[in-house]
Amino acid sequence: MSAVFSALESSRNGLSVYKTWLDAIADNIANVNTVRPAGEDAFAARYVVAEAVDYGGAAAPGIGNGARVQRVAFGSDEGRLVYSPGHPYADAEGMIRVPDIDMNEQMTSMIVAQRSYQANVSVVERARAAYEAALRIGSR
Amino acid sequence: MQDLALGALHGALRGLSARQRVMADNVANVETPKFLASQVDFEDSLREAIAGGDPLGGLQVTSRHSLAPTGPNGNNVSLDEEMLGLVDTGLRYQLAVEGMNAKYRLLRTAMGR
Amino acid sequence: MAVEAITGAIASAVRSAGTALPSLPTTGAQAAAPSGEGFRDMVVGALDDLQGLHGTADSLAVQAATGDLADVHEYTIAATQAELATQLTVAVRDKAVEAFNDIMRMQF
Repeated sequence: MSAVFSALESSRNGLSVYKTWLDAIADNIANVNTVRPAGEDAFAARYVVAEAVDYGGAAAPGIGNGARVQRVAFGSDEGRLVYSPGHPYADAEGMIRVPDIDMNEQMTSMIVAQRSYQANVSVVERARAAYEAALRIGSR
Repeated sequence: MQDLALGALHGALRGLSARQRVMADNVANVETPKFLASQVDFEDSLREAIAGGDPLGGLQVTSRHSLAPTGPNGNNVSLDEEMLGLVDTGLRYQLAVEGMNAKYRLLRTAMGR
Repeated sequence: MAVEAITGAIASAVRSAGTALPSLPTTGAQAAAPSGEGFRDMVVGALDDLQGLHGTADSLAVQAATGDLADVHEYTIAATQAELATQLTVAVRDKAVEAFNDIMRMQF
């Protein structure tokens, strides 16, 4: 089902990209304290890789149809070794592996993702208002 | 009193209102476990019916389950898709209604009222 | 179609009436073309092309119904043009009929 306005199609794609990004950030923040034994890999942060949607159907050649999630990439799984001898997962030296997730970076990204999501929603509203105005051409 | 354009717009109104009902149903069930979203398809059938000369009689509005991947509780409704689809369907519905109004206005003018 | 014959005759009558009138005096601003001729051409064009305008509006309506319409303003503009052309044709027809009746009522 194609959108009546290619602006709506672009917004539809953009909204799902930012929603996926918010899901990834939520996943990272929820797992910021996921501890693993020193011998295993740490929890790797999830990153969303987006790409532009360039196929046609849009207004003019050169104008694409928004963005799309190409794949989800994983950050470094090395983590940090922390000294915590009382922990059930601690090995002989008392070290455990915690993920290397920077909360500041995640919170900043979350604000950016949320604002981008809202910006896409306002594009939808503007496109709808323009469409309804076009429908009223010629009416008394 | 029927011509091709009026019949096509009438058929579009039928298909679009079915689509709106199904989308509202999907949105209501966005958290229901094991619920599969449905999708209404009528454009291809309408195109064929128009080519055959009988837009209303040849139109078949079909509904099938969406093949989108399901989440952890078996639900595959995507809220963004459904909400945007409701906007899109609503605008198309307004366009079809405006089209029928314009056509009837033309007929009234030609009749002299 | 009878409507076409009548509108064609009326259009040629309007055209010849337009050339018989003196052109509008130009005001201080030097316009590129006298404004009277542009309006006359638009009116005569609407009378000539009534069938064409209806056909365009209808085919765009069918495209709108099946969701193939890329630009919605194309349809609403075409529908408005068809409606205005129809109203113009009807108005001209009514005036022509009224004039004919007036003439027939004249007694000598």
